[in-house]
Amino acid sequence: MTDTPLLDATGISKSFGTVVALRGASLQVEPGEIHALLGANGAGKSTLVKILSGVHRPDAGEIKVHGKKFDIRTPRIAADTGLGTVFQDPALIPDLTVRENLRLTDISEDEVTTWLEHMKVREVDLDVLIRELPLPTLRLLDLARVLARRPSLLMLDEITAALTADQAEQVFDVMKEWKDRGNSVLIITHRLGEVMRMSDRATVLRDGREVEVCVPRDVGESGLVRAMLGEAAKAMVEGATGMERLAGAPIALEASGLSSSDAVSDVSFQLGAGEVLGVAALEDQGQDRLFELLSGSRRPDAGRIVLAGGEELDARSPYDAVRRGVVLVPSDRLQALLPKRPIRENLTTPLYNRVGSWFGLARDEKARVDSAIRRLSIDTRAGKQAGRLSGGNQQKVVVGRWLASGFRVLLCFDPTRGIDVGTKQQIYELLRELADDGAAVLLYTSELAEIPLVCDRVLVMYDGELVEELPASEATEQALLTAAHGISEEVA
Amino acid sequence: MTAAPVEVGRTGLDWTSLLRRYGWTTGVWLLLIALIAFYASTIPNFGSFQIASIAKNSLPLVYLAIAQAIIVIAGGIDLAVGSMLILTNAVAAQLMDGQSLGVSLVVAVLVILMAAAINGGVGWIIYVSRVPDIVVTLATLFIIAGLALIVLPSPGGGTSDGFRAIFTGSTSGTGSNFWPALVMMFVPMLAAARWMKHSRTGLSLYATGSDSTAAYLSGVGTLKAKVVSYAVGGAFAALGGLASLAITGSGESRFATASNFTLRSVAAIVLGGVALTGGVGSVVGAAAAGIVLFVLSPVLSAMGVDPNTAQVIQGALIVLVMMVAGVVELRRERAE
Repeated sequence: MTDTPLLDATGISKSFGTVVALRGASLQVEPGEIHALLGANGAGKSTLVKILSGVHRPDAGEIKVHGKKFDIRTPRIAADTGLGTVFQDPALIPDLTVRENLRLTDISEDEVTTWLEHMKVREVDLDVLIRELPLPTLRLLDLARVLARRPSLLMLDEITAALTADQAEQVFDVMKEWKDRGNSVLIITHRLGEVMRMSDRATVLRDGREVEVCVPRDVGESGLVRAMLGEAAKAMVEGATGMERLAGAPIALEASGLSSSDAVSDVSFQLGAGEVLGVAALEDQGQDRLFELLSGSRRPDAGRIVLAGGEELDARSPYDAVRRGVVLVPSDRLQALLPKRPIRENLTTPLYNRVGSWFGLARDEKARVDSAIRRLSIDTRAGKQAGRLSGGNQQKVVVGRWLASGFRVLLCFDPTRGIDVGTKQQIYELLRELADDGAAVLLYTSELAEIPLVCDRVLVMYDGELVEELPASEATEQALLTAAHGISEEVA
Repeated sequence: MTAAPVEVGRTGLDWTSLLRRYGWTTGVWLLLIALIAFYASTIPNFGSFQIASIAKNSLPLVYLAIAQAIIVIAGGIDLAVGSMLILTNAVAAQLMDGQSLGVSLVVAVLVILMAAAINGGVGWIIYVSRVPDIVVTLATLFIIAGLALIVLPSPGGGTSDGFRAIFTGSTSGTGSNFWPALVMMFVPMLAAARWMKHSRTGLSLYATGSDSTAAYLSGVGTLKAKVVSYAVGGAFAALGGLASLAITGSGESRFATASNFTLRSVAAIVLGGVALTGGVGSVVGAAAAGIVLFVLSPVLSAMGVDPNTAQVIQGALIVLVMMVAGVVELRRERAE
């Protein structure tokens, strides 16, 4: 390897509002290597790649390519600098044909078709609209298009995520060939098996900093996982005992054989009243879709969701689900709130559908809203608009409005994303309390360390299937992460 | 490389896919031909005079439909195209009055460039200020129409006879020579269509309107796309103003004309298969729909429909076409 790295990014910092994504992270990629960029969810991998691709501009830091400093302001500049990225969502225009997409970016059709042939992609008609092609084909097409620009550093963000095993093999071949031609490849992936097999070196990010640069073959999968996690996370909810599943509790919701296109396949589980059931998964393993199915945003292709008393959920819309007492707390709070309206009004929105609400709320409903505010200790002075509350208080309002209207099953999808530690604790305590009062709670959180602290039981999802079920006492972060990577226990 | 025995890039025509992509445009042209055929059968003396009349009198709306289509395909909408039509009409009428054909042509070019520059500036403002297109152009609808009234407070002005003949086929504006009007309709239309689909800049308009994030990530200049779409749209609106000057032989600035033309341009693109969300449709379809909207009134009056009822029928036609298209789309999705 030569003295000057191909890519030398140092001290890269980036914040989005109050959320700090990168705190002086560094990344060096040598010429002629396959380098893996690793980290748990939220470690800053995607932000770093987006900065290197010209999508975001760093707040601080320096990027050198072949020893020369570059200001990568736009994706165009990144491409001209020799940094080529295949993003998680293919950057192809849905309403244009393949040919038009290539012409748009001035890329040779011959070179792209050669790469596609190389990857054994057949039957791609260049005159077909992008929106008519399946996602795996689009990924490979996007890869071929980036390769045709001959980048000296090829960055692949979770490229194998939607690919079948043999398509992934084709991509691995291309990666090797690109490396053999003297170029470098940066892979971002959750699949540690791929990292072990393909990469020469790896940089591990944690909390927006690089914490380890290592040779994956030397440290092994468990070494990588350890580096990604760092020191064992401190217990957050004090006194949260490992509450086992309450034996004999009535079933509040039972899903059997749920499937939805490629995202969810044959998922079955039972959720008991008085239980907090955790769902652990890496990004894009079908958990989004599972929550969409349960909350009525989407209908399953197959399978049934049965509520207590044998009533089938069969929701055609979130409205149906809410009426049957199945309610959702999404991660994007502003999506669930009316940000410009007062807090009180936000708390009462689910009540609007009741008879009589056209003429104002009934007195007992007012009382319920008041009690929800008290119970959540929402700071109502904070402002007239819910959108001005802090993220944590906003999330409390989202939970609070279901408290005011009543529910049986609470679906929480990553409710603490981007929330400070103190408020997080309040939210987790609230979920625990609700469960102790007999509610059933299904909780997905991207922060694996928090699962054993609040849940009674954990389901692990991988590639659209439930691959593991653990009681809270065994759900250490390491066990969860191992299962979530689709690695069987014997290997770990 | 072309000799590779793999199916990549095969050029065989796939009729279902072609029909799916160009079906709407084809449908609108068939509707237009059917309407004209029906019209021809209802009046006893249908001939070149009627063809010339339809061709030249629908020109302003066809140009505006093309202007609106280009802007909407790129992800915007311009409520001020009608105002641009009366402004360019007023400016040209003032400057061409009593002049020779040569001077008129120079004025025409300058007026087109002026409209492109003004509208390009509007596009730039929209992009930089991040104020929605519909809000900014609602403001320019009034501003540009006001400018037109300042330039030409009362009907007047004029143009050279030769200039009238370019659009209408005769120096008096009436006659049976339909060729000039057809040329002035099809040449700019096909040029715009080809530019939109075959040049990188044109494709970048589709790209920006279809998915501006993906366009940005693939290195498309989204600011350039916005400015260019508005500028070219402004140039086509100017053609509309020049055509209406040639047809009537004098200028007229009326706010009602501006707002009416704007609304009809939006109706034309919707009927012509351009998605208001951007990225989908073609100027050829929008142009055909512009003629359909124009032809509809003589057809309906030939059928003995009262003009007020004709308005209702025009509106109902738009809703009907959209509903049929919606049902077709739904059935296709179900089938997949």
